[in-house]
Amino acid sequence: MWLPLLGLILGISLGLMTDFQIPSAYENYLSIAVLAALDTLFGGIRAQLQQVYDDKVFVSGFFFNIALAAALAFLGVHLGVDLYLAAIFAFGVRLFQNIAVIRRILLTRWADKGLSSK
Amino acid sequence: MNNKTVNRGKIILSVVSLTLGFILAFSFSVSQNRNQEVAVNSATFGQTESVRQELIEQKERNKELSEELRDVQETIREYEQQAGSNTSSLDELVKEAEALRLLTGEVSVKGEGYRVQLEDGEYDPDQVNPNDYIVHEGHVFMVINELKIAGAEAVSVNGKRIHETSYIRCTGPVITVDGETFPAPFIIEAIGNSSTLSEAVELSGGILDQLKGQQIRIQTEKVSELMMLSMHES
Repeated sequence: MWLPLLGLILGISLGLMTDFQIPSAYENYLSIAVLAALDTLFGGIRAQLQQVYDDKVFVSGFFFNIALAAALAFLGVHLGVDLYLAAIFAFGVRLFQNIAVIRRILLTRWADKGLSSK
Repeated sequence: MNNKTVNRGKIILSVVSLTLGFILAFSFSVSQNRNQEVAVNSATFGQTESVRQELIEQKERNKELSEELRDVQETIREYEQQAGSNTSSLDELVKEAEALRLLTGEVSVKGEGYRVQLEDGEYDPDQVNPNDYIVHEGHVFMVINELKIAGAEAVSVNGKRIHETSYIRCTGPVITVDGETFPAPFIIEAIGNSSTLSEAVELSGGILDQLKGQQIRIQTEKVSELMMLSMHES
């Protein structure tokens, strides 16, 4: 368990120490990348709880979603269409859905536990 | 076998969380920077605005005060003239005060004088450095000094009266006299004995020849009637 946590801490410190400016036109990409990463993370947690978790699906989804979202935003910037909104919308909806599923699963488990302990 | 898969899963998860942490922290620091920039910008803007307001107020106050000063000096001169006409012993003192006022630039003067005009030399494509043929504040100094040595009673540059606390500064292609900016050509006027002044300036090997050697175009002129405003009016 400590290895992923170490990775997270290392990543955060790296990100805070990185001190280069990006042009404001490309800040959209960053927000999309954040959303994609969060989405995949919660998707992974949900899959774990539903016992359908698969390493390959999770990792490929994580990096592929980030890349796809950035590519979409890039295309949108160059076409003059706010395509990144599509990505934000899709990821946002899925993020909420995933969290809702996680919440439900946890609630069910808690209720089951309460019943069995009675 | 099972142990191996668990390990691999852990490593993969670490890589994923590293990327996630990096992205989160980086976007956090980027937006933090942006917020700071916005805050700094608005703060500087407000400061500029208030300083500008202050400057305007000060300028208005300055104008009022210099007008008041002029009025007061006018009254003093009137008093002195009355006193001078009353008593002959005071006559000398009044004359002296008058002469001193001419030197300090407190009053406007009229009289014969001498005019020197300094102009930048012709643009010369062979000359790499434009500094070699433009008029510098040093040249203006030289002319003013020479005129004062020759007994000029009052001196002005482009209509700006030079007094005892005047300053002349080089500010790029132009010069600043007492905070006012003047471009070339620079017209230096002096009131005094015009033939003495012209001889002093045009002396062979003197200032005129020196300046001509530095590619500056000079025009000189004796003027029979020159009007020079006081330092408060010019």
